[in-house]
Amino acid sequence: MATKRKVAKRPAAVRRHKRAARAAQSRKGGVKSGAAGRIRAMAQTPLAVCESDRKLQETLTTLRDQTQASSVRRAALQMLQAASFSTIAFEPCRGDYVAALRAVVDDPDAELRERALGILAREKDGFAQKKLLDGLQNPDKALVAPEKALQLLANDVHAEGYAIARAMVKNPPNPDAKREALRLLAADATAAPLFESVLRDKDELREIRQVAASALQALRPEKMRAHAREMLMDKSEYDDIQATSLTALTHFGGEAVAQDDALMKSVDRLSGAPSAKVKQSARRFLQKYGR
Amino acid sequence: MSGLAEAAAQSETAFAEFVDALASDPARREQLTDLLREDHPAYQQRGTATVVRMRGWILLALAKTALSDAALAFVLDELDTGIDPYLVAVAAHALRAYPRPLPAFAPFLVQALANVRYRDDPVALDEYGGYAIGARVTSPVVELLRTLAWLGPNARGSLAELEALASPEGGLPPKRRPELQCALAAMSADAAAGEPREESCCTLESGWADAFRRVIRVRRESESVKSVVFEDQNGASIRFDELFIGHPSIVVFFYTRCDNPLKCSLTVTKLARIQSLLAERGLADRIQTAAITYDPAYDLPNRLSAYGKNRGVRMDARNRMLRAVDGNERLRAHFALGVSFIESLVNRHRIEAYVLDREGRIAASFERVRWDEHEVVNRAVEVLHEGPAAFAGNDTGPSRRDRPSPSMLSEKAPDPSHASLGRRSASPLVATLASVGVAFFPKCPVCWAAYLSFFGIATLEQIPYAPWLLPLLAAAVLVNLLSVWLRARVSGRFGAFYLVAAGAAVIFASNLGIGSEAVAISGVGLTLAGSLLSTLDRVQVRRNRPDAYASEARPSAMRNV
Repeated sequence: MATKRKVAKRPAAVRRHKRAARAAQSRKGGVKSGAAGRIRAMAQTPLAVCESDRKLQETLTTLRDQTQASSVRRAALQMLQAASFSTIAFEPCRGDYVAALRAVVDDPDAELRERALGILAREKDGFAQKKLLDGLQNPDKALVAPEKALQLLANDVHAEGYAIARAMVKNPPNPDAKREALRLLAADATAAPLFESVLRDKDELREIRQVAASALQALRPEKMRAHAREMLMDKSEYDDIQATSLTALTHFGGEAVAQDDALMKSVDRLSGAPSAKVKQSARRFLQKYGR
Repeated sequence: MSGLAEAAAQSETAFAEFVDALASDPARREQLTDLLREDHPAYQQRGTATVVRMRGWILLALAKTALSDAALAFVLDELDTGIDPYLVAVAAHALRAYPRPLPAFAPFLVQALANVRYRDDPVALDEYGGYAIGARVTSPVVELLRTLAWLGPNARGSLAELEALASPEGGLPPKRRPELQCALAAMSADAAAGEPREESCCTLESGWADAFRRVIRVRRESESVKSVVFEDQNGASIRFDELFIGHPSIVVFFYTRCDNPLKCSLTVTKLARIQSLLAERGLADRIQTAAITYDPAYDLPNRLSAYGKNRGVRMDARNRMLRAVDGNERLRAHFALGVSFIESLVNRHRIEAYVLDREGRIAASFERVRWDEHEVVNRAVEVLHEGPAAFAGNDTGPSRRDRPSPSMLSEKAPDPSHASLGRRSASPLVATLASVGVAFFPKCPVCWAAYLSFFGIATLEQIPYAPWLLPLLAAAVLVNLLSVWLRARVSGRFGAFYLVAAGAAVIFASNLGIGSEAVAISGVGLTLAGSLLSTLDRVQVRRNRPDAYASEARPSAMRNV
């Protein structure tokens, strides 16, 4: 049983960047006494924006206004977002809301622009997708980190991110970006061979191999079953990968698995493994297939 | 085309410039319409949002001068089934570039309002991409209402639908009230002031109606796709020729990841309705149905099965959800499918349904705007009734259905009901004469003596006696019997068949010397009555169902509002 494994760890540069961003935000957006009252008011009555066009325009102006405190602007966005859940009441505001979100996607406030891009991306907004793709192709124009851009693009399987995601898998700026690129590619049926190779690569990060396993299960379940079997027979395979394989076969194995004596023998062996996770998965497997 | 291909390979900016160049050159302007084909290479490997931007820019370029009939089909298609705010706004704007406002446009506009009323996003029509942030913005609802105002009294037929949408429950954004009032006022204006047209509000001119559906006279052989291998919803493999040869079929295309509910999801739901209509007519085992995915790599059997089941599709040996596992390219070429891809995923497609004849050849197509289930079933029934040799021919290549025009009318087949009318009327007469011939053919010396006594010795030379005539007449009686049986199967009424069968039995019995001549006469009577009844049954069946083309000119937009 393998005892070592590769685990995703954020690179120092990313950690530094996040720390610096937090510090900047706290400097710029520190809650002042006047702002606190406004934030509270906005949080308490989100649907007020739908009551009158004047109120809506005020909130949208606050959201766009870069001279306002970041916390107030974020509260305005949160208010609009909360109101948007009341679909019918919010419908008249939707057009102006979308326009305001588009206006703040390149705002100096990183959190605000990330949230605006996130809302638009979930709406499959072409404008946001174009900005995200431009940023991936040209890092100087990037509005968010590449892993975030990929994650947001993955909201729409019809977006144009596949070619860039493939390039990211080959040459990732960081492990998170590679993981998100693989997640995006999970919608591309032609990417199954890529997932097979990632899944079988023991040098790859555990988390990334699990993403590959889940993508392969969606795209080519028969291939995933074959790989899962091989990985269960492989005594040098990592515990968590074996646990994942057991789960896959338990849920999607079918009759062929029940007839596979060699596999059953391996799983029998795993039911006494030191890893609690593997042991539990193996027992569930044996329970399902009547051994 | 090579220029277009080059532009297709370039950036969006280059593409936009290329479109502008085409728009400003009257000699090449018509190429813009060709660029709107869903399967145009320009759209390959582009995301859906990019395709939206490209198509929007083309439509805007076309709208700079008068919109042609060929381009109109794409505009109406977008209004009927589009859900992207930008493209719908552009289509509504482009429609105003048509040389004259027609009442037939109104249902499409009202349908589009219903489609996008909750997605009234800001759009900009004066710059590529149309993403509005600044002040110079419009919206799909605004553009649709402006176009309804442009139609004026011509849109009066859709006034009630618009008023329903304008009510608080209708869902139109209250801030669009000024444009709404303007549209309602224009539509309600005095007819004399607004050049109202005589034609119906719901009728597209015949040429346009046929731009969306075609009956194919010269059918292309299905040789190239006979070996295409499909996998069905249960994972069973079957070849095209095994599945589609021998029975007429209704085939629709879809893919499970389509996010436009007015396209694939609705298409497959309507296929379920078609299955019900076929079952109601007792044709479920004679006309089969199939839904074929555009995205065979992703739409695995379990997905096909779940998608069909969730939409009420009956799935069995005659009704399958399919993915092509071998020969998908040939299949696409054969049907000339209007679809483009990014990787293996569809980025743009049109609505398409087909009726295949018993040879697996495309006999009719229904494209772009939403089709009517009755219309498709009626066409399939007509194909079912075709003779085996009907519409023989071999078209040389994939038909270009992408540039619909009124000239397509010329491809329309003669109405089979008219073609066979003469045959059907003659049928009982021939059958009766054959029966009479068999019944009274002189077979023995006594018969000869009887005929001589009746006609007189002088007419002996005139009696048309030929020994080979008897088997020929007997065969005609049997052919008539078979024909009546076939009609009875279609109509589900077997009374006529029983009468003709009894008549034939009586005639043959009398020929064998069983019974008197009076019995033979009753056999002739039974045959005549049965043959006439069979013909009447068929006419009755035709009257009871709507004619295939009676409703074709009615836009689906109107039906669905």
